[in-house]
Amino acid sequence: MASLFLLAVWAEMKMVYAELIRRKYMLLMLAAYPYILMIFILLIGMSIGNRQIFIQRIGVSPEIFFLVSGFLIMSILGTSDDLLWRPIYDEWIGTLPYVIASHIPRLYHYLAIPIPRLLIAFFTGLTSVLPLMVYYYGLHGFIEGLAVILLGLFSSIIFIPFIMVVMGFIYGFGNVNWRVINVIRPILLVLLGAYYPRYLMPLAGYIVSSLVPSSHVVEAIQRLLIGSLNGLYAFILLGVATALFIVYSPIGVYSIGLWEKRKISEGVKTE
Amino acid sequence: MYFTDTKICIDGDNGLGKDAVIVAADLVKTYKTKKRKGLFRGEKKLVEALKGISFKVYRGEIVGLLGPNGAGKTTTIKILATLLLPDSGDAWVNGYHVVKQPFGVRKSIGIMLTVERGFYGKLTGRENLEYFGALYGLDRRYMEERIDYLMKLLELDKLGAVDRMFEEYSLGMKARLGLARALLKDPPVLLLDEPTLGLDPSSSRMIRELVRKLAHREGKTILYTTHNMFEAEIVCDRILLINKGRIVAEGSPEQLKSLIPKLRIINMVIRGGKGVEEIVSSMGFEKYEAKYEDTIVNLKISVEKPEDVLGELIRRIVNAGHEIISLKVEEPTLEDVFLYYASKT
Ligand SMILES: Nc1ncnc2c1ncn2[C@@H]1O[C@H](COP(=O)(O)OP(=O)(O)OP(=O)(O)O)[C@@H](O)[C@H]1O
Ligand SMILES: [Mg+2]
Repeated sequence: MASLFLLAVWAEMKMVYAELIRRKYMLLMLAAYPYILMIFILLIGMSIGNRQIFIQRIGVSPEIFFLVSGFLIMSILGTSDDLLWRPIYDEWIGTLPYVIASHIPRLYHYLAIPIPRLLIAFFTGLTSVLPLMVYYYGLHGFIEGLAVILLGLFSSIIFIPFIMVVMGFIYGFGNVNWRVINVIRPILLVLLGAYYPRYLMPLAGYIVSSLVPSSHVVEAIQRLLIGSLNGLYAFILLGVATALFIVYSPIGVYSIGLWEKRKISEGVKTE
Repeated sequence: MYFTDTKICIDGDNGLGKDAVIVAADLVKTYKTKKRKGLFRGEKKLVEALKGISFKVYRGEIVGLLGPNGAGKTTTIKILATLLLPDSGDAWVNGYHVVKQPFGVRKSIGIMLTVERGFYGKLTGRENLEYFGALYGLDRRYMEERIDYLMKLLELDKLGAVDRMFEEYSLGMKARLGLARALLKDPPVLLLDEPTLGLDPSSSRMIRELVRKLAHREGKTILYTTHNMFEAEIVCDRILLINKGRIVAEGSPEQLKSLIPKLRIINMVIRGGKGVEEIVSSMGFEKYEAKYEDTIVNLKISVEKPEDVLGELIRRIVNAGHEIISLKVEEPTLEDVFLYYASKT
């Protein structure tokens, strides 16, 4: 069974890397992404606000906050993009019938789909988050930076079953359409709390956001950065995130099944 | 020979008793589509794609589903491949019910649904097969051996296509790769939807020959759709003639030919003029057709016994001063059978 999962990961790696290696500028884009985001936001930020106020309110320098947020967004939303795009892409190029007619367990397949890009995200973390943290905090920054990167990857992986639930229901009841992604993305962005820390949200926002497993890890990362994370609280946050991952997994598989059934009842397109 | 046996399967009979590997029993499918009328208004439209189709395919047999565009061939294949739910009726593949046991069916079949699509463009042929092999859960070592074998079998290695990106493939290479994927897990059943559509003669011939080998040497059970009568005649052991969602005739290619009235066609090319047609009608032939090109006449006459009339016909034409350039007596082709049934329903 585990070998089936590894096989799926191997297949997805081939797929993504074949595309990336054959389009090198994509690789460059990925490496530059967190920096670009950070600079962009800092420029906007400096034109409307004051650095000192930011540090007072958030508790960490804006460079670090926005670079880490950029990294988190890239790996977490990259994961949901990968998943949400796949059925649309498969339908478009005509591979969908062969994928639906395959007998790989769907959880394995969907867990495998974002992994190649997460590995790339890992290296992007090493080239963006890590140097900046070392520059600010030295050796301590190195360890903290590594923790941030690993937690970022963790938050991306536990995002997968949640996205499976969302996508199965949306595609199953509505329609498979790329426009849907444009609607979901900003909502996810807010709920994750990467740019607007969750502990500053109004209560309702806080509650909805806690249904998203990754948001807990994002909070843990932010608290780590501002130095207000103690062992117990970290344990609770990561524990809740893991529990949600486990709860969402079977619902996600069910939800994907729902979508596939809908596809089959109207006929999987072949032309 | 007409197909009357519509309710082949009694409930619970999975059809395996007589080694029937594919069993379709009274399959019905109506597509519901919306026809756009203006910006917001739509009109519901129903397309009856299958109106109760029943047939069996036995182990090691190639059965052709032959019919014109829109006959329901792809719809039938999709239902058997668990990619479309029938409205009613049952079907079993390799003993598994297509609606109730789709995973059993999926493990038993290799499918090829179109020639030109269905692979990832940026991946090479080998990478594509590896990708789908992984989705089929094939063991890595077995997979690599199998891919090498299939690349040779389909001559993709000779064409230098193994390590080329799919988006650079010619149609012939795409078709071969499609068949390679269908064979990847060495399934007992193949469902092939117009696998030679648009291919050049050499690629089509290799695919046809391979399909025959797979059935007759390896015992694979194959359902093969086509709208090409010539192809059905040379590939299939048995042909189901399908038109407008119904099977209208069934039999071996020879049997199907014997189904239409036993007419032969006298095909003559004559140098002459209008006079030729007068001679023909004066002899009392009813079914004939004459095409003119300057002074050349191409004459086709359908008769039951050409030997009875041919002598007299030639004499009259020659005596009238015309010159016979060529003369052939032809057997009806499957195309004639096909037109005969297409016009009847
Ligand atoms: N998804 C669909 N929605 C609506 N109507 C459909 C759909 N798919 C097929 N049809 C209709 O159902 C009928 C049968 O189609 P089908 O594709 O099975 O024919 P076919 O025999 O494969 O034809 P072809 O030789 O053109 O491939 C046609 O009238 C077609 O227009
Ligand atoms: Mg078709």
